[in-house]
Amino acid sequence: MSSSSIAIALSSVRKAFRTVIAVEGVSFEVQRGEIFGLLGPNGAGKTTLLRLIMDIFRPDSGHIEVFGRGFQKQDKARIGYLPEERGLYTRQRVQDVIEYLVQLKGVPHTQARPRTLHWLKRLDMLDVKDYKVQELSKGNQQKIQFIATVAAEPEILVLDEPFSGLDPVNVRFLIQVIQELAASGKTVVLSTHQMDLVESLCRRVFMIHRGREVLYGDLDQIRKAHSENAVVVRSNANYSDCPWATHKITNGRGTLLVLKENCRPRNVLAWLLETGAEVESFECAKTPLEDIFIHLVQGKSKT
Amino acid sequence: MNKVWVIAKREFRVTVTRKGYIFAVVGMPLLFGSIFGISFLTSGDLEQSIKSGFEPIAVVDRSHTLDFELAANFAPARESPTAATEALQKATGGTPSRIVPYTDMTAAIRDLKDGKLSAVYLIESDYMSTGKIVAYSPERGLFSDLAPPDRSRLYDLIRASLVKGRIDGETRDRVLAPGRLKQMKVSKQGDVENASDAFQKATRFFGPFSMFLLLTMSIFFSSGYLLQGIAEEKQNRVIEVIWASVDPMELLLGKIIGLGAAGLLQVALYAGMLLLPAVTVFALFQVSVAGLILSLVYFILGYLLFAGLMAGTGILGNSPQESGQLSAFWTLLSMVPMFVIAPISEAPNSWLARGLSWFPITAPVTMLLRISSGHIPWVDVGISIVVLLVSIYLAVKGAAKMFRAAALMFGKRPGLGEILRWLREA
Repeated sequence: MSSSSIAIALSSVRKAFRTVIAVEGVSFEVQRGEIFGLLGPNGAGKTTLLRLIMDIFRPDSGHIEVFGRGFQKQDKARIGYLPEERGLYTRQRVQDVIEYLVQLKGVPHTQARPRTLHWLKRLDMLDVKDYKVQELSKGNQQKIQFIATVAAEPEILVLDEPFSGLDPVNVRFLIQVIQELAASGKTVVLSTHQMDLVESLCRRVFMIHRGREVLYGDLDQIRKAHSENAVVVRSNANYSDCPWATHKITNGRGTLLVLKENCRPRNVLAWLLETGAEVESFECAKTPLEDIFIHLVQGKSKT
Repeated sequence: MNKVWVIAKREFRVTVTRKGYIFAVVGMPLLFGSIFGISFLTSGDLEQSIKSGFEPIAVVDRSHTLDFELAANFAPARESPTAATEALQKATGGTPSRIVPYTDMTAAIRDLKDGKLSAVYLIESDYMSTGKIVAYSPERGLFSDLAPPDRSRLYDLIRASLVKGRIDGETRDRVLAPGRLKQMKVSKQGDVENASDAFQKATRFFGPFSMFLLLTMSIFFSSGYLLQGIAEEKQNRVIEVIWASVDPMELLLGKIIGLGAAGLLQVALYAGMLLLPAVTVFALFQVSVAGLILSLVYFILGYLLFAGLMAGTGILGNSPQESGQLSAFWTLLSMVPMFVIAPISEAPNSWLARGLSWFPITAPVTMLLRISSGHIPWVDVGISIVVLLVSIYLAVKGAAKMFRAAALMFGKRPGLGEILRWLREA
């Protein structure tokens, strides 16, 4: 992969606070224009990683590159950051707060206002522009914080739990906005606990636990690698007669057939056709990301 | 630099619209003004109070003792007026009152009521045998003069009228003015000094001393706003958002410039309120231009030093209250000169004063105090400015390091060892 296609690259990064090691030997790359998922349980080191990327913290050792080189002061204007712990000037007008934060990203005053108004309108918040921040609901404050992050139109967006505090309608709305941003060429680093959202938004992920990497790479391949040798079938066949299955589990999606060690899914498909059963659907079983996450975290915790 | 300017502008705007700032700038003088106003209301209006004694007095002489022609250009060789009286007359443009003869008491009382007279004296027909004189003066509340105005001038005229044609020359002069009194003061050290010089010295001191108090208060006000702002941004987590856009030094510089400007505006407004309505203040309390400029230099240096110290300490707290407690150390230390204000004022070039001027934390307040107390050697000015500049550099740089290390640290406060380690780190 050429360095010009890499937006962010971490190499053997380590960061410790007093005696606590927050991040140890972490390496990953975020490609330009992708939505990259950063996963991990509470206290795993996700926020520390994001702060390291933002140059809020400096690594004790290792290397962090953005835009193909070491972090430079002017890069702060090119990266938008939505921290997990929201912070706004609560006693000030919504529009003033956004304009100020946008200007801090180097956007001239003359452009800060139209961009602020554009994004307030885009997120259906224009009618609260004159409200004080503290007069808004938690969800709306969250949307204001999001606007303040994207209105400067940075090339990279680092979003730490962007959906927390939002109702399902607004979650869906925000997903759509993030997808549009990625489609327009923005790079998005998304840190969240909501695995279903990661599955719907991200193609590649990095999972951290206790400061160390536990998963990294293409989401499909990860799920495949962590799935059992099984298929999910919807048909009228009598699965008890299947010579390839060790056991079966039926749920709303169909019947999960766990296969014998040397059996391949095509053997089951061939058996189904031989029996003359009517097959509605047939797919290789993939373990949900949430199961992989829980399995890995619990597994690591036991060790 | 553009971001520093954006931060400075916001800090200035937010600070000058704070309720606390508006109260400090407008409310405090209004409060003091109201107190004075109430006292004037009870004693007549301001103009009347200043001019009291400069309106003519009326004399209804039923005993025919007075020779009013003498009153027209009568200026007995009395003892010298005090420096205070001279200064007040100069400042208010007042002229000595005249003595106007009246024949009708009713007309005199009416003119007194209308403010055309400051007093009416009725000399009864049996004056020569009884010495009886009745004085009428306007009601001016609690603070009105207990003695009617210009009584001594009337007595001078009575004396001059009585001796006219009977005594002449020096004897007459000495009867009318027994002495030209020159007052001397003897200090505890045995130094003898002209009393009027002592008064002038006091007035010379008072103006700069007011300036000292004003600037000292403003240093602490402004650095206090900085401390509060930083602690609030840490508490409400805005600091992490800002961090993602600017580096600690930019944030610190922006805040220092914005809040410093707010502090200067506060001083300017106070000074404006003080100067505009009263040219008297400058006439009475001589403030030298050099002293004023030097005071402003120490104000700026003092503010920069305390801004650095307050910012570096304020970031360690978890709330504005906790940050305030932590920074109280600097405030208390800097106020040491206030505890020795008397010895420094009396001897502004003593070793105590000089020593405190060379120590960075106490230097701004001490130097402001010394400037108000008299001439100070330029070498002391030079040393203290160099010491302050070096300290400001270290304080602001240290504060930026503390920002990076502690801005996102919540809960447990760092120990001294950890703070020192942060300061050593690049």
